[in-house]
Formats: sequence, structure tokens, C-alpha cells
Amino acid sequence: MTAAAHPGEAPAPTGFFSSDRFAGYLLTAAVLLPMLAFLVLPLSAILLYSLRGPGGIGLENFTHTFGAPRFWTLVVNSVVMSVVSTVGTVVLAYGYAYGLARAKVPFTGLWRIVALLPLFAPSLVQAQGLILLVGRNGVFNRFLGFDIDIYGFWGVVISNLLAAFPYAFLILSAALAVADGRLYESAEALGARPLRIFRTVTLPATRYGIAAACFVSFTLVITDFGNPMVIGGDFNVLATEVYNQVIGQAQFGLGAVIGVVLLLPAALGKIIEKRIARKQHALITAQSKPLVIRPALGRDVAWSAFVVAVGVLIISVLAIVIVASFVRLWPYNMTLTLRHYEFDVQNGTAPIWNSIFVSFASAIAGVALAGLCAIVVQKVRTPLSGPLSLMAILPSAVPGMVLGLGYVLAFNAAANPLNVLYGSFALIIILNVYYNHSQAFLITSTSLNQIGGSFDEASTMLGASMTRTLGKITLPLIWPTLLGVGVFYFMRSMVSLSAVIFLINPSTQVAAVSVLQLSDRGAVNQAAAFSVCIMAVVVGCLALVRLVLVATGHRNITLIR
Amino acid sequence: MDLSIRGIVKRFGPLTALDSVSLDVPHGTFVCFLGPSGCGKTTLLRVIAGLELADAGEIRLGERDLSRTPARDRNFGVVFQSYSLFPNMSAAKNIAYGLECRGWSKPAIAERVEAMLKLIQLADHAHKLPAQLSGGQQQRVALARAIAPDPSLLLLDEPLSALDAKVREELRTEIRALQRRLGITTIMVTHDQEEAMSMADLVIVMNGGRIEQAGRPVDLYAAPQTTFVANFMGRMNLISVNIAADGRPVFAGMPLTLAGTAQATTRTLGIRPEAVWLLPAGAEGDNIFPATVREVVFLGNITRVAASPDAAPDTRLAIELHGAATAPAIGDAVAVALPAAALRVLT
Ligand SMILES: Nc1ncnc2c1ncn2[C@@H]1O[C@H](COP(=O)(O)OP(=O)(O)OP(=O)(O)O)[C@@H](O)[C@H]1O
Ligand SMILES: [Mg+2]
Repeated sequence: MTAAAHPGEAPAPTGFFSSDRFAGYLLTAAVLLPMLAFLVLPLSAILLYSLRGPGGIGLENFTHTFGAPRFWTLVVNSVVMSVVSTVGTVVLAYGYAYGLARAKVPFTGLWRIVALLPLFAPSLVQAQGLILLVGRNGVFNRFLGFDIDIYGFWGVVISNLLAAFPYAFLILSAALAVADGRLYESAEALGARPLRIFRTVTLPATRYGIAAACFVSFTLVITDFGNPMVIGGDFNVLATEVYNQVIGQAQFGLGAVIGVVLLLPAALGKIIEKRIARKQHALITAQSKPLVIRPALGRDVAWSAFVVAVGVLIISVLAIVIVASFVRLWPYNMTLTLRHYEFDVQNGTAPIWNSIFVSFASAIAGVALAGLCAIVVQKVRTPLSGPLSLMAILPSAVPGMVLGLGYVLAFNAAANPLNVLYGSFALIIILNVYYNHSQAFLITSTSLNQIGGSFDEASTMLGASMTRTLGKITLPLIWPTLLGVGVFYFMRSMVSLSAVIFLINPSTQVAAVSVLQLSDRGAVNQAAAFSVCIMAVVVGCLALVRLVLVATGHRNITLIR
Repeated sequence: MDLSIRGIVKRFGPLTALDSVSLDVPHGTFVCFLGPSGCGKTTLLRVIAGLELADAGEIRLGERDLSRTPARDRNFGVVFQSYSLFPNMSAAKNIAYGLECRGWSKPAIAERVEAMLKLIQLADHAHKLPAQLSGGQQQRVALARAIAPDPSLLLLDEPLSALDAKVREELRTEIRALQRRLGITTIMVTHDQEEAMSMADLVIVMNGGRIEQAGRPVDLYAAPQTTFVANFMGRMNLISVNIAADGRPVFAGMPLTLAGTAQATTRTLGIRPEAVWLLPAGAEGDNIFPATVREVVFLGNITRVAASPDAAPDTRLAIELHGAATAPAIGDAVAVALPAAALRVLT
């Protein structure tokens, strides 16, 4: 060999069990072990506890729960409320997305952001704002002479509708964006009227999107717990019942049963949604051409009016919360003040700093664990790759509340050596990591797929070890995506309530929980101030990261998901 | 050091992409894998590189068995069709990457990178990112990156197919000259027969996961063994024959003479269009048939004629005439000669 005398001579062959193999198994273990401990174990704990009654292992808890008339009331309440809310949110979001995509609505970009605003706050802010608008002491009843009773069914329906709106909107506007211009041109050439085009072209092309939006919204709504707590009054649902059973009465077994019941629609919905998503992709082909919207006065005015109406509703619910945070004592003393931002309640500003700390740590840990998981699944071929990718997306079918309960059941047990984590920030951070794991995993996987495997192969052929390829090639190429994943984690962790509610104690209080507790106590203004702080932090973080991305020339990274 | 491949089998699920492939690549030669899309060229290249694990078979480089050597320790240079230059590194950094991986010293790396950049005539572009280079320049950098660590084998997967015709032609000569100068054993995948013929010492024609025929370009052209190779390397007239009781092939009612000891073991013979002679009507002799001109296409330096033997009107023989003077007209009665030396027995 000519290279023999050269400093570049290849090292002696290291055999099949080369260091790459070893590193592969090491990385796999680094991903797999925490996943077993913090995802599989808590979920198993839920199942175990639901089966463990005073009389030993059995279906006792289930028969006990299913035998109670109250349970069936809760089921009916939950299902009816979720169906109404879902239908409402999907109809409104479809109209909103359609108006923005298919008519010339002024300030499209602004209205897109408006649609996403509810994502920047805990879901219960919707209930909070709704109460300030149309509650007992709300603007309408107090100042405008109305007599509306919003507490109960309709309050929960509307606040959940608003909370789920951005999720449905994101799915539907993506579905509407993939329109194939050729279809519309041929439909028009055939003389079809607009309504007919909608029925024969638009609706069929977006039906998968509609179905996906329905499942996502339904799952969100039926497992949401903040809104019914705040605005539900006597109207109880399954999610609040879990809370009452566990926190109120320490009935872990019964809580676990309802947790399992809530797991069912979420898991089913997820499976169906995944099937649907697969079909949606096939709709657009390389020959498709983008749809060009021509102005049409009547249509444009009508859709603008609709978009503005919905947008104003979304804004006003949030804006009223901001207003309330700045007045002395809503609704009795409306003089402006900053005193609610002194936070002379409970733990002072600690919950906000806690939230920021927890969210930041979750972002870092989440990027590391979920990102590494995606890399391991794609780049390290071991027999464990298959089960690993399945586990990685498992959390998307698990409601936050159920996972949180699983954490209590698993880590509160003295027998668990990880019991030391119970009551610490660490466990809350880990919960956030695994609660949002599937999306983070999928975002990273998609990005890795787009980059493809050829850089890896080129690097390997040049003699790089797997870890060098990872550090020198893969990570430098996907860092903007990982930054986006970090933002996603940060946002979700800032606003998440139902997942962490069971793990909070006075020393680990986070802002979203403060909002709930203060609302519960009737401290409307302070609760509003906490909500505003959460929103401000989230918006500030988004702005900062967007700035960094633009400055480094990465404009096409999605931050809001 | 010679590369020797024995009985390589590679399956993807039910599909057998490589079906017991064996070949030898002598040290310092330039070999082309040629074949239609999906015939397994890339797969064979990847198996040699170690990027794909063969289900059976053995690869040796000199005395060394490579089957258990991981790709990164094989010290083979690879150039991919899509360049695969690292987009976050400059041209110079790309070239240096393999040297860093192999633990070269800093000064040695700098020296080598400079020499490589000079070799590919891109010394002025050292600090440009791949996105700032043209396709041809990128491919040259990819080539330099692959050969910088002094690989014992250079593997190129359709390195030129993404480039436009003019750049492709330039690079062909450049690659070939470079390979000669460095004396590096090289395997290139292509589905362009002209590329294979003009560059390779040895062409391996593949089809359906098997090697159809391997040989020097001129041998493959002059003496194809199968109809597939005959048609893949230029045009060939296929002649269906019957075998007479004495074993001689019979065409258009006349026994055909074959050169030397050739035996018609099948019912198909082949002859290149330029090897067929067009004679005046009435000519007689071995392998000469009265025929009628069906078609004449004048192309400047050559004229394509199609003629059918009168005794086998369904057979159209393509004939290429050089120079314009002797071209017949459609409908003319002529005679065609199929010289024994040019007739090939095809399987
Ligand atoms: N990773 C894979 N998984 C499954 N099938 C594969 C894979 N790679 C290749 N194949 C199949 O093996 C066969 C040979 O593929 P290969 O890429 O080697 O063809 P090729 O000769 O390089 O073709 P082309 O000229 O189109 O590049 C094809 O049928 C291909 O579909
Ligand atoms: Mg190929």
C-alpha cells in the first residue's frame, strides 16, 4: 500500500466490536434508561394502582368506579363538553384559516399571530379572561347591564374552545396551504361556482386536516383541567375528578382508574391522527402548482369581517386579563396601579422565577434527551431502535395530568430508589421533558431526515468515528432546529399546568399553579398579574430567539408549534 | 494491491440486489461499473466501501480480508453523486477533515490541503463554502477530499451525472489524468456507456444484480457475449437463426459461415451495423444475401441504411456507411454481406 509510510495510515482494523459499536450502545443506553425510569415506569404505576384495591390486585377499583352514578355523570359531562368545544373550535379555526389562505385579508401575518396567542399562556387564562368579560363581576354584567351566567357548561366549552383554537388552526392552515392550484383552475375553467368549488375541491382536500384537528382538539379539551376548575362552578368533568380524588381525598387508586379512562380517548385519537397524517402527505405532488388568490371584493370583505371578529374575541379575552392586572381591585376600583406586580402574596415572585428556571432547564434537558433520542434512532442501528422510536412518541398519547399522576404514584413510593427526586425541581423538569418528548423527537427526526444520511457516510468514509461525526457534522447542521426545539420546550413548560399540578409543593411552586390557586381564592388581580408575567416571558423568549435566528441567517425555522 | 471480490450476495428483503458477484480489480486500474438503473451498481460500490453489509461473500484487498473491517477503517476514498460536501465547512476544511480524522499533524494537514487545492486548481477558492462553489467545483473538492488521505481505493458513484455536458466532459479527462498520475485503484459507477468506454481500463457490465460481462472496452464492443451487452454498448443487429442438422446456423434459407471454431450454440447471432457490407445486386459468396433497401437516413459523415434480405423480409438489418457517395435509394435491390469475422454468437 502506498500509504503505508504515510502519517495517514489507517489504524489497524478493530474488528466488529469497534468503538463505534460500543459508543452506539452507550448512547442507546443513555436514552433508553431514563425513558424506562421516567416514562414507562410512571405509566406502569398508573395501571398498577388502578388495579390495586384494598382487597389486592383486581378490577375492584374499576367496578367500584363504574358502579357509581356520579362517574357516568362525569363521563357524559366530559364527552358532551368536549364534543361541543371541538366542533366549535374546528369550525371557527377552519373559517379563520380558510379566510387567511383563500381570501385577501389585510394584515394576514398579524392575524396568524393573533390565532396563536392562546399558546403563550396557560390554558386557564381563557377561563380567567372569560370571567372578567362575562362573569359575575365581568365587563358585560357589571358595566353594560347584561345578565349572563357563564359559570358551568358553557363557560368550560368556550374557554376550552379558545384554548384549543391555535392547535386546530395550525393543523388546518397547513392543510389549506397545500392546495394544488391546478385543481382550482380546472374547476373554474369548468364553470364551477365558488360554493361548489369549496364542496368538491377544498373540502375533500382538507378532510384529513379536519379530522386531525378534531382529534387533537378533543384530546386537549377532555384532558384539560384548569378551565373547568376556574369557570366550571358545579359542572364537574373527569379531569377535575382526578384532581379531587388525588389531592382532596388521597384516593390514588380511584384517581388512577379515571387516569386510565382518560388515557383511552387520547391514545385512540392519537393513533387515528397518525394514520390520517400519513395520508395527507400524499396529496401534494411535484407537479402541483401554488394557488394564486385573485382579489374579489365581496368575498374579501366577508372573510375579513369573520377573521377580525374571531381575532378580536381571542385578543379581548387575553387583553382583559392584562387590564385586570393593572387595576386596583376589579371591578370595584378601576384606578390603574402596579401594585399587583409587587407580588406580596404567598411566595412573592418566586413562582415566576421558578417557572423560568424550570422551563429553561426543561429546554436544555429536553433538547439533550429528545434530540439525542432522535439521533440514536436514526443514526445508531441497534435492535433497540424500533422499540425506542415507539417509546419516543408514546407521550403524545398521554394526557399531562395522567403522566403527572403516574409520577406521583411512581416516585412517591418509598420502594423506588428515585424517590429522592420527589418534591424537587428535578422531577418537575424531567416530567416536562417526557411530557413534550414526542413532538421534540419528531421535529428533530424530520430535520435529520432532511439532511439525509450522506454526510454521515462521507464522514465515516473519511475515517471519522461516530462521535466525531455527531459533533462535527450532525450537530452543527441541526442546531437551529434544536434551538427551535428548546423554544418549544420552554414555551410548553412555562404554560403547562395539568402535568405538574400533582408535583408542586410550596417550595417548588410554578407560576401557572399560582394563577390557579389565586383564581380559586378570588384574588383576581394577582392571578391576572401572574398570567401576564407568563405571557411576557414567553413572548420575550420567542422574540429573542427569532432575533438570533435571523441574525445567523436561519429564517425558515418554525418556533411556534 | 489487487482487490478481489468473491460471491457477494446482498438482499433487501425479498429483493436480491446483488446475486453472487465476483470480480478482480488489479492494482492501479480504472474500473467502471456499467448498467441500467437499479441493476445494483451503487449497492456493489457501497458493499465494497463497507457502508452496506453483504449477506454472503468475501472482499479482499491484497491479503487482507475486509469483511470485518468497519467502513471508517478501510481507508477508501468515496465521492458521492450528490457531492456530500459538508455545508458548514469551507473547501479547505472539507479537504482537511479526513486528515484530521486520521490524526495527521497540523503542518502536514496544511501542506496536504494546499497541494490538493492546487491539484484541482481551486487554490483561490480555499475558504469558500460549498454553497458558494459551482457544481463542477464542488465535485472537484469532493474528489480532493476523497484522495487527500491517500486512500488505497477510490470509489466514485456517478460523480459526473449531476453536471452539465460540457463540465462533465472536462472532468472526465481530469479525473482520468489524476488517476493515472496517482496510480490509485479506482472504481466508478456510471450508466453512461460512453463515459465508461472513454475512461475505463476495465468495464463491468451489470444487469439485474449480476455481472453480464467484464472486459476492456474494446473487447466488450467487439465481442459482446450476450444480447444485453451487445445492445448496451452501442447498436447491434440481432439475427435469429435455425440450427441445421450439421450444426451450422441457417439464416434466410442459407447456411452461415462463422469465423474459426465458433459454434452457434444459440439461435441468436449479432453483427454491428458498421460491419455489414452493402454490395451491388447479384453479388455472391459466403454469407451474402440478395436484399432490398427499406430506409436511408443521411447523417453527414455516415449514412444509415436499413435493408431486408429477400428471403427474410421481416428482418431489418441496420447498416452504417461511411462517406456519402455510395448511398443507395429506397427500394433498390442490393446484396448484403455478413462477414464471418464480424458475426457474434450471443446468449
Ligand atoms: N436501502 C435499500 N433498501 C431497499 N432496497 C434497496 C436499497 N438500496 C437499493 N435497493 C434496491 O436494490 C436495487 C439496486 O439498487 P442500486 O442503487 O444498487 O441500483 P443502481 O444500479 O445504482 O441504480 P441507479 O443507476 O438508478 O443508481 C434496486 O432495485 C433498489 O431499489
Ligand atoms: Mg446508483
